[in-house]
Amino acid sequence: MIHVPKVAVLTGFGINCDHETAAVFGMAGAEVERIHVNHLVSGERNLEEFHIMAVPGGFSFGDHLGSGRLLGNRMRFQLREQLTSFVAAGKPIIGICNGFQVLVKTGLLPGNEIPDFEQTASLTLNNSGRYENRWVSLEFNADSHCIWTKGLERMEVPVRHGEGKFVVPDSKILDSMDSDGQLVCRYIDPSSKPGEGMTDETLPFPICPNGSMRNIAGICDPTGLIFGLMPHPEAIYAQWLHPHFRRTKITSVERPTSPFSHIIDDDTEMVEASRTARDRESERVEWEGAGMAIFHNAVSYVREHL
Amino acid sequence: MVDVRGELIKRSLFNDHDIRINEVRSILGFLVKADLPAKSIKDVVDVLFADPIIEIGTCNDEILNDTAIFPTRPDAVISIGFKPGVTDNPGTAAVDGLKILHPDIDEHSAVSTTVTYTFHGLDESVDIEWLAEQLHNPLIERAEAMDTRDIATSFPKLDFPEAPPNEFTIPSIIDLEVSDAELEDISESGILALNLEEMKAIQTHYRDPEIQAARTARGISASAPTDVELECLAQTWSEHCKHKIFSARITHVDRETGEESEIDSLFKTHIMKPTEEMQEEVDWLLSIFHDNSGVIAWNDEWSLCMKVETHNSPSALDPYGGAMTGIVGVNRDILGTGLGARPIANTDIFCFGPPDWQGDLPANLFPPSRVLSGVHAGIRVGGNESGIPTVNGAIVFDDRYIGKPLVYAGTIGIMPRQLPDGRLTHIKTPAEGDMVYMVGGRVGADGIHGATFSSLELTEESPSSAVQIGDPITQKKMLDMILEARDAGLITCITDNGAGGLSSSIGEMAEYTNGCEIDLSKVPLKQSGLSSWEILVSESQERMTVAVKGDDQITFEEMAALHEVEATVVGRFTSNGEFHVKHGEMTVASLPLEFLHDGVPQLRLESEWKAPENEAFIPPGEVDHSEILLELLSRPNIASKETLVRQYDHEVIAQTVVKPFVGKHCDGPGDAGVLAPIHGNTQGFVVSCGLSPRYSDIDAGAMAAAAVDEAVRNAICSGVDPEKMAGCDNYCWPDPIVSDKTPDGKFKLAQLVRANRELERACRGYRVPCISGKDSMKNDYGKGKDKISIPPTLLFSLIGDHPDVRSSITSDFIATGHQLYLLGESKEELGANEVAYMLVETGRADGIGGEVPRLVDIEANLGMYTSLSDAIHSGLISSAHDCSEGGISVALIEMCIGGRQGVSVDIENTGDASIWAKLFGESLARIIVAVAPENIEEFELKTQNHRCTKIGTTTESNNLVISSGNETLVDVDIDIALKAWKSTFCGGEF
Repeated sequence: MIHVPKVAVLTGFGINCDHETAAVFGMAGAEVERIHVNHLVSGERNLEEFHIMAVPGGFSFGDHLGSGRLLGNRMRFQLREQLTSFVAAGKPIIGICNGFQVLVKTGLLPGNEIPDFEQTASLTLNNSGRYENRWVSLEFNADSHCIWTKGLERMEVPVRHGEGKFVVPDSKILDSMDSDGQLVCRYIDPSSKPGEGMTDETLPFPICPNGSMRNIAGICDPTGLIFGLMPHPEAIYAQWLHPHFRRTKITSVERPTSPFSHIIDDDTEMVEASRTARDRESERVEWEGAGMAIFHNAVSYVREHL
Repeated sequence: MVDVRGELIKRSLFNDHDIRINEVRSILGFLVKADLPAKSIKDVVDVLFADPIIEIGTCNDEILNDTAIFPTRPDAVISIGFKPGVTDNPGTAAVDGLKILHPDIDEHSAVSTTVTYTFHGLDESVDIEWLAEQLHNPLIERAEAMDTRDIATSFPKLDFPEAPPNEFTIPSIIDLEVSDAELEDISESGILALNLEEMKAIQTHYRDPEIQAARTARGISASAPTDVELECLAQTWSEHCKHKIFSARITHVDRETGEESEIDSLFKTHIMKPTEEMQEEVDWLLSIFHDNSGVIAWNDEWSLCMKVETHNSPSALDPYGGAMTGIVGVNRDILGTGLGARPIANTDIFCFGPPDWQGDLPANLFPPSRVLSGVHAGIRVGGNESGIPTVNGAIVFDDRYIGKPLVYAGTIGIMPRQLPDGRLTHIKTPAEGDMVYMVGGRVGADGIHGATFSSLELTEESPSSAVQIGDPITQKKMLDMILEARDAGLITCITDNGAGGLSSSIGEMAEYTNGCEIDLSKVPLKQSGLSSWEILVSESQERMTVAVKGDDQITFEEMAALHEVEATVVGRFTSNGEFHVKHGEMTVASLPLEFLHDGVPQLRLESEWKAPENEAFIPPGEVDHSEILLELLSRPNIASKETLVRQYDHEVIAQTVVKPFVGKHCDGPGDAGVLAPIHGNTQGFVVSCGLSPRYSDIDAGAMAAAAVDEAVRNAICSGVDPEKMAGCDNYCWPDPIVSDKTPDGKFKLAQLVRANRELERACRGYRVPCISGKDSMKNDYGKGKDKISIPPTLLFSLIGDHPDVRSSITSDFIATGHQLYLLGESKEELGANEVAYMLVETGRADGIGGEVPRLVDIEANLGMYTSLSDAIHSGLISSAHDCSEGGISVALIEMCIGGRQGVSVDIENTGDASIWAKLFGESLARIIVAVAPENIEEFELKTQNHRCTKIGTTTESNNLVISSGNETLVDVDIDIALKAWKSTFCGGEF
């Protein structure tokens, strides 16, 4: 059994959220490496060294020629074999925001049992025509077999995108994705009853921030191992990042200086090494943000299945 | 499927010009210059250019006649493309994509992008050429418009934008043994922006026999400069780089007090000296004044740095490109601090003409609304694509900014205090023999003369070569690579290439080892044929200059290759005191560093203060104060800018605790940004700003003090540690030197003197050292009676430590029954207040004059702020918000909006002032706080020694009710207030 899964967090070419994505996997108990795409392309490193791959958010190649397309092409043409083996080995992949766009443009999402690298859906300009950063409510499909979202019901998370409208050429495709449990999470009206938020009718802006078909925020492949979503769960790794945390904040008297036991961070190794790990599990849980559940799920999955 | 690009054009034509069009559609075009096999072209279109799900890709220009795609015939077709030589980021990305599909295509392959709009159902009255003008900026773009109402539809032809070949010219020798008039002519015709005294200083230099002998030995013209040298001196000595006005010796006369005094450098006297004295009292000021940004120790492991730049002239010419290069440029200042810092937060403050301006515009100026949307887009793209959150900012409006918009772009950076090899990160360590690399983008004809040009006033003839568009992705790749190289210990010195290009960056770095030698023939160029001086001074973007030890070159270059970043050795450090520039084997410049950096003569300027006369502001008698409040809320200076701000990513890096908009529905105003940059750690820092340019209409000194107080107030409200705050001063001034075109120069300089004195007093009083700053001194447009000068504007930005972000609070009310207090007091200071301008502009008052808000007892304020900070960190405060434009009533309604929570307030005991002053006056040092019932006792104990007045409670109603004793003054429904507040910028969009 693998106790500490190894995670490859891709970097380079305008990927921006690699540091925080690495940090949250670290907090979830994984060993993380931010790895430049070209290290994999050159063959100097190989995806097979890892158990989980994350394509973080950002603006790879400036979103020029369509978000995710140029990085998607690099992956389609330069990492095809490594990705095929990675998927065949049953290892989880997540794409967040621009990472989701990349996975869709490479054809890994919605995808087939065996990847054919053909694009069958797209993420395009929001109906508002604007890039926006705002918080949304998501509801998760209890019938989905997506390993990343097991046990999740609802979550408040930020979206930060200009091209987040999920579209397919024919809504029948969505019917079949739905019956396969591939429609993992959707934007919902937070005032709806738990379990009843998801609807096929497009909800108004800003509840559905981009005009996605059926309010789709995130989907998985038929195996449930590859997951992509536009919102940023890593951005709510701690409760103090929630816009309302102070309106409902925990008033514990004792405040540890650092409530997380595992801290992986930017910049030099030296600083990392000099920082003592502070193991205070109860406080960590108390201050942990809702988004962490997604990363815990993947780490648990690897521990149990690989 | 919706054509969103087309919809946006349709929407903006309706909003801005009241033109209704049935449908606008968009076609993205790619002009490809590459040797591709014919059979693979379709494949390239499908795999690279067109999205198979949402777009139709074709190589056939008959597309417009395809009725399956265009069932209705367009009435007009307009294609827009870049002019030759202008940065085309999607084009560059497309070449990159092409190389993935066809790795063998030759290196001269190029792609130029265009966008074509088709207009369906266009009214006949709309002139097509006019329409095309609205859609492009002729300085950087070209448009081809076709009226297709009567003729068969064909595609507008835009050829590939081929830049004419540059002609390399051998450096010329400039004879300076000429008359004074000719010297001035050399400066003016060459856009050198050097005055006669400076030209004569250069002339004198070349007469020195020792210099002549050394030059003869170097094999360069002995007694006259080359054009390379003259350009290099002009860049280095420009107002932009040398801050000659702030360094000038000033004779200051005050006609009111009779004071006559001499000031030897405003900068040294009022900014440097106070900061250096404060440096002796604290241990956290690590690096000030001599690097690209100021550095403070944040904790034992990390330091923070901050820099704010202005990009006013470029933004006036091309709002989009000017603003974008502003923000990505200041990011490089951070990257170039110490041995390299990581930019982690941006701030953006703009000053524009009124967004609804309907009046005439002088030649060459864009309408304020277009400047606003262009600047906003540039900042948005520059910040978002770089992955740096925009966490704080402001937008201020005044008629006079029509002549010159102000675009302040700031960045905060973080770096480990020590590198793995033990070096302190804030100290550069170059040595003789280190190799000098140029890293990142290439040098082109774009951006020549930016520094000298920004030191001149804007005229109709302003050069278009001063305009550039940024390329955030090239810069992001470079940033990733450089920080990796820093951590690997490969960098000994680094600085950015901004104003003045290589001449400034290498020239500055050369001071560390006392010399350097560079070879311009090694510099990678965007287009061949550039002359030596052009390569040396071009300000082409996305470049850093980095020094690396000889032993580390291979590792450094491998790292660059991995990141697909170009890194080229262009020189090396020496110690012979010379800035030696070669082009191949030929020496084209040989300048003693001492002369280059210290040879500029000190300016001597005169300053004379006499208070300006303004008609007194007398508020009207019988009015409905509720109506006044609603009117104030919709004023551009006060109204919500949420629609604009939401388009900035403010949460990337997962560290932003207090976001720009706060409260129940995330639409109340935040006072300051609070960030926790180390993932998992709760120590944070606060970013805030202050500016009140209109106070300069009465006294620029009061304007400066108000800016500092506002920045401090905002930070205090968010939980800053008052003992660790650092500031950044950015002066934007109209030309303060007396001349034919500036007859009132002495007054404008006196305004600068007063502002500096008040800045010093406020900074010393609040113990906020200025760690960085910048000035922009020529913010005028035009000449004579048509001249427009900006109001003297000081932006004060602040960063400070936040001990635990979990105790940060925001402005929104959070519950019913909380007690409200006013810290500080209202005074009769309505002069130059927003309410005065509003009533004057709408004909209900005659003047804005009177007492302007003054910063009086700083020591008492600081004591009050410190007690409040203590109360916040003790968990006693549930909401806090500072009072600024529109005074207490606007502050209160903003708190109500944030919490969707009513309040009832009595302002009778809030100060010895009129009802107008208590309701809408902008007296400084006032903060409103809400305290939960269980915390009242402890809160009152903590604030007992300060001016703290109980003013009311939060209620269950949905109204803001303000009374004075028994008289109800204001009763406003929060939903109505919300509508007024959001109508100006967010109207019609929600």
